[in-house]
Amino acid sequence: MDAKTHIGYFVKNNLVLVTIMILTTATALIEPKFLTVANLGNLMNQFGPLSFVALGMTLAIIGGFIDLSVAGIVSLCAVFTISMIDVLGQGGALIAGLMAGAAMGLLNAFIVVSCGALTQAKALFITYGLSAVYSAAALLYTDGATQHMSHLTSRTDLFRAVGSGRAGFIPASFLLFIVIMALLHIFLVRTQTGREICLTGANITAADLSGIPVKRRITLVFVLSGMLSAFGAIVLFSRITTASPLLGANYETNAILAVVVGGTSLAGGRGSVVRTMLGVMLVILLSNCLNLLGVSTYLQSVCKGAVLIIAIWLDRRRAK
Amino acid sequence: MSVVTKMVKEIEKRKALTAILLMLFMMLFFDTRFYTAYNLLDMLNSAAILAMLAFGVTIVIICGGCDFSIGSMMSLAGIITIKLMDHMPLGIAIAAAVACGALVGFINGFLVVKQKTEPFIITLGMGMLLKGIAQQITDAHPVPAKNLSYMKIANGKLLFGIPNLIIIMVVMLLLFYYILRYTSFGRNCYAVGGDYNVASQSGIRAEKIKWSAFVICGAMAAFCGVLLSSKLNTGSSIYGDSTALSVNCGCVVGGTSFAGGVGGIPQSFIGLLAIQVLENCMNMLGINAYVQQVCEGVIILLILWFDNYTQKRKEEAV
Repeated sequence: MDAKTHIGYFVKNNLVLVTIMILTTATALIEPKFLTVANLGNLMNQFGPLSFVALGMTLAIIGGFIDLSVAGIVSLCAVFTISMIDVLGQGGALIAGLMAGAAMGLLNAFIVVSCGALTQAKALFITYGLSAVYSAAALLYTDGATQHMSHLTSRTDLFRAVGSGRAGFIPASFLLFIVIMALLHIFLVRTQTGREICLTGANITAADLSGIPVKRRITLVFVLSGMLSAFGAIVLFSRITTASPLLGANYETNAILAVVVGGTSLAGGRGSVVRTMLGVMLVILLSNCLNLLGVSTYLQSVCKGAVLIIAIWLDRRRAK
Repeated sequence: MSVVTKMVKEIEKRKALTAILLMLFMMLFFDTRFYTAYNLLDMLNSAAILAMLAFGVTIVIICGGCDFSIGSMMSLAGIITIKLMDHMPLGIAIAAAVACGALVGFINGFLVVKQKTEPFIITLGMGMLLKGIAQQITDAHPVPAKNLSYMKIANGKLLFGIPNLIIIMVVMLLLFYYILRYTSFGRNCYAVGGDYNVASQSGIRAEKIKWSAFVICGAMAAFCGVLLSSKLNTGSSIYGDSTALSVNCGCVVGGTSFAGGVGGIPQSFIGLLAIQVLENCMNMLGINAYVQQVCEGVIILLILWFDNYTQKRKEEAV
């Protein structure tokens, strides 16, 4: 094999990495300030809420499902947690928020499993319907009003630390992301339950026949996805110090975008959370680039939609 | 079989119709303005556009797909027509908008049928893309139509004081019913949705049929967008945000299943009507708007649950 095919092979297998390098170089050339330590910290800061939701989505997709309810979960968890701070104190509110996310994930799983919607296509509709219910519930819960952290009487320094604290130039949320990602990676690759989730995603019938408790694994996937979305919601409202009941809109498509662009296959069973990190990075760099080029927010959403469609298309072609 | 079990079976088959009758009966006991000619006609009038959207979607669902880009396509088509109207005759502007819808349907069809991607996620992404375009064109502001004759298309009353929208809807209902029921294209749609492989093995050009279904659905969504912007005399990028979910699920309420191969135009019409009647009832009873949203979501969820559950039962019986 000569050098040329070597390079071609590398590019084909690490398309994301190559694109990230190209985008970084291009941005650095346009804007020299891009490569300063301060801006690096800012880039890490942008990982924030989306990265946690994307981690949950990665688990769901590897498990063979696409969890579209994350948009609703983010909205409802944000307004619920912020309203609990005065009631339970900040530690209690944090736990209550995560539990609420897990409970919604459990409800998702219960509905999906109980009606036998065990294929990706069927579960899509159900989680989308659930998203509508959660979003409406968030509106109902706050009566449509935005809630402000500054109006609370209790201390909120824990949330402020999660949202915008920094250790040196590294944001706390990024550190949390790295820790959770590492844990999830070990869980998926090194534990039996993790491997069983992968097999369930790859071929549910085979998994069932080989004695894996398929329904329990699916439930676990949805609960973890709900919990991580709740965590994303907490990071999000802590950072902007307000929680609107419409906070989570479009989070599902952005999370799917990050996961698919990262290279996790929508067919299920294949992929990793580390790839998702690269995917999130790519999405952030992309919007950073578009911002630098002065592209309007509306055109950016056109770009994101186009990238999503193309990424799914390429994923499908690779699977064939 | 006893009379009771027969009745239960009949009700199970006609869930949506039963629900409508129940709601109509219930409203007799409340002192509202529900039973006025104005309200009933208005209800039908506002159901008209959704029902027409559903006709296009029904064909796609029968072929075993679904289309969640219709909401954004609808708002975009309205904007395109209003923007083009100033530069060319009205008819050509409308034709251009419908052609755009057909083009979007063509792309959806290409990705779903030729490339075998999941229709739900592709059309959702397409919806996001189209909404971005609509926002870019209008800068997210509503655009008013300057031409008065444009407004008359949907708001006029040409025949015996019946609103035009209802007449257009009835024509479309008959047309789509005829296509699905009495043409070979329509019959093939059922075959393709019932079992894609069997259909293509038995000589039906399954790819072409399913692809055309997406094109028809896109064009229909654009046509509805034209009617909606004419009815409101404005085009705006915020129309149609929740339309896709309620129309797709409205079809399922009527008995068209996401599994494909079953259902029909009249069923979808009844399904959509049921959702509209429910909305109207809740409005008349003065229920909080957010409670309404929750109710609608829960009902849609229940329907989806039943759709899947009956399918599972059927598969287990085999």
